Amino acid sequence: MANWIKKKEESGRKKQKRGFGKGIKEYFADFVSSVKEGDWGTRASLLVMGSGFVARKQYVKGILITLVQILYLIIFAIYSVPYLSKFGTLGTVKMEQSFDPITMQQTTNDYDNSFLILIHSMISLFLLVVFVMYYIHNIKAAYKVEQDARAGRPVNSFRQDMKEMLGKNFHFSLLTLPTIGVIVMNILPILVLVAIAFTNYDQNHMPPAALFTWVGFENFKALISNGGMTITFGYAFWKVLSWTLVWAVLATFTNFIGGIVLAVLINSKGVKYPKMWRSLFVVAIAVPQFVTLILVRNFFRDDGIVNTLCANAGITDFFKSIGLLGANMNYIPFLTSKGWAKVMIVLINIWVGIPYQMLIATGVLMNAPLDQVESARIDGASKSQIFWKITIPYILVVQGPALITDFVRNINNFNVIYLLTQDVYTTTDQMLANSNAKEVDLLVTWLFRLTNEYYNYKMASVIGIIVFIICVAFTLVSYSRLMAGGREEDYQI
Amino acid sequence: MMDEKQPTTETSVQAKKTSVHKMKVTYEERHGMGRKQKELIGSILKNTLLAILAVIWLIPILWLVVTAFSANPGISYTRFFPEKWTLANFKRVFFAPDSVLQYGRWFWNTLVIAVFSCAISTAFILMVSYAFSCMRFPARQGMISFSLILGMFPGVLSMIAVYFIMKSIGLTNSHIGMVVVYSAGSGLGYLIVKGFMDTIPASMREAARIEGANELQIFFRIMMPLCKPIVVYQIISAFLAPWSDFVFARLMLNSGISKDWTVAIGLYNMLDKTLIHNNFAAFCAGGLIISVPISVLFIIMQKYYVESVTSGSTKG
Repeated sequence: MANWIKKKEESGRKKQKRGFGKGIKEYFADFVSSVKEGDWGTRASLLVMGSGFVARKQYVKGILITLVQILYLIIFAIYSVPYLSKFGTLGTVKMEQSFDPITMQQTTNDYDNSFLILIHSMISLFLLVVFVMYYIHNIKAAYKVEQDARAGRPVNSFRQDMKEMLGKNFHFSLLTLPTIGVIVMNILPILVLVAIAFTNYDQNHMPPAALFTWVGFENFKALISNGGMTITFGYAFWKVLSWTLVWAVLATFTNFIGGIVLAVLINSKGVKYPKMWRSLFVVAIAVPQFVTLILVRNFFRDDGIVNTLCANAGITDFFKSIGLLGANMNYIPFLTSKGWAKVMIVLINIWVGIPYQMLIATGVLMNAPLDQVESARIDGASKSQIFWKITIPYILVVQGPALITDFVRNINNFNVIYLLTQDVYTTTDQMLANSNAKEVDLLVTWLFRLTNEYYNYKMASVIGIIVFIICVAFTLVSYSRLMAGGREEDYQI
Repeated sequence: MMDEKQPTTETSVQAKKTSVHKMKVTYEERHGMGRKQKELIGSILKNTLLAILAVIWLIPILWLVVTAFSANPGISYTRFFPEKWTLANFKRVFFAPDSVLQYGRWFWNTLVIAVFSCAISTAFILMVSYAFSCMRFPARQGMISFSLILGMFPGVLSMIAVYFIMKSIGLTNSHIGMVVVYSAGSGLGYLIVKGFMDTIPASMREAARIEGANELQIFFRIMMPLCKPIVVYQIISAFLAPWSDFVFARLMLNSGISKDWTVAIGLYNMLDKTLIHNNFAAFCAGGLIISVPISVLFIIMQKYYVESVTSGSTKG
């Protein structure tokens, strides 16, 4: 079974690799041959994009495509060129205000806004790439119509073309809008993020009042080197990174194991009303996290109700006597001291995460291979043997790959950390504070605070790229599995 | 017993049953008479353990509920249950807005954002799923692979860049901007719906095509009715996202003007250090009000959630 899947995966991968290199080569070869072998109509499409179609009497299509071309050229001239010409420097004219004695008004000079130049240049470049691809495609399409016409095959009228958009070419109609959405929300932001990491866009270089410019790899250097007491990004980065990884490992495994234990416990023999128990745990996660987590953090305040109860019950004194608390502390600093906060965050995350894992593990348990259990029972295996030798390995095998996904999700677990520690935890480590980091920060919460409170966009972008690289490294492991996980061909007979 | 000569079918079944029964008895006898008691003790232990765990899991929820009815507007440091009970917090949340607390407004904002982004993202996801699941075109495999890689990029990371882009087109602090943020990229979340569509036999669509239906008709007349359960799941989860989102709302709605906020941001800002002693009970009341409908929707959605997570993994 496993071998078979491996083989299938390998052949799939080979196919993809061959397909990619060859595809690019073919893509341009087709273009060149279309130009070489096409007649005047197809070649004229190099200049006026619709002419190839007009030559085949597809007037409406030809005119529409030419209009698109003209529209793009206008956009390029009046929108792209002004921004792209300044892309190399990100602007040189600083904003200056002067008082004009004639009109008695403040006037602002025609200044450059680095931020807008950057964003609009990226958009312009993107449009350019799309247009060039469409241009190449258009020549090929014109050549194909030419061939059709020459061979005497019927050439679609415009009406037929439109009809095909709901039939054979329905996927164009379906995918256009979602693709534009993904480009705007996912692809463009990633490009902008990468670009900003190479600039000095921060609090001291905030457009429109100031300009920022390209600085090469300076920010990356700052993140891994150590510059004494004032520039402490190097110091903070390693601290935050190591806690992020420790947190991700702890959070993933505690939830994973806890979820399985809870699911097995609820499903085990002798438990009355398993459905009721399951629902009780689900209620805890059904309430939005920003409500429960803020509630929990007030529950564990330094002067909060848990501390009062602990003091009354003598637990605070007990911790003092075994040295977990300093002698002058009369409360337990659940979320305000380094060690306690880290432990509490992991524990509270167990509270948040186990019901989810329990639900998943329950689903897996329900699909457990009953035939194997049955045959083991007939062979005389005891219940605990069946449990440890069949059920548990089954759950591990099925759910194991999801661990990687969970791990990556925990690296980016913004909610738990931010909602529990923001405005509550203050760091005492001056070197961390200089970089606006805290001991309990994950890379993402640090990134968020750098952006949202300190406007240090350049460092936030660098951190974003680093986190992305880490995540990709881990997800690539599960990538092949995701690709093989589709079940489309198995059912669609 | 099984070797009896020429039994009628009925008696043979009977015989089998008794033989199984007998085996059970001998099994129990072999393991001594304490077995029943052991099982009972085990059952009691398990149920007690579950009860303790359930109490731990429900304490914060219980605290939320009781504090919402507390006459003390701030946090109680000494008591779990309030001293005096009242409905005033609910009244205040709904009918007495002040410069910070504008719950009705927040609720309306979130509702509008949720409805629009739910409609757009459900439409997008259904469109993408249909294209990828039911149609075959040259770029299909490439687009699926690319979207999977793109989907691995954690949304939280690109949020600052999203913020920049929204800022450059003037959509920060605007509800249209929030709808765009929640729904524009939703086409990437097609995996679950596509997985469901993959299980519907292609022969049904083929038959419709032969009858002369075009893809649009197949999409609405054949696939949509068959996909009803997964469409319900999709609608609920798309509707829930804006209600429980915190990070994007916090980033995009940063103007400090209370009437622009969503429920999540409003509730968070209500508990500012200086305000917490006035607002904690009202916070609980507000949290409780939105938690009830959200919990109900979540519990409806839950069974699909489990299915979606496990469906991919039961193979392999």
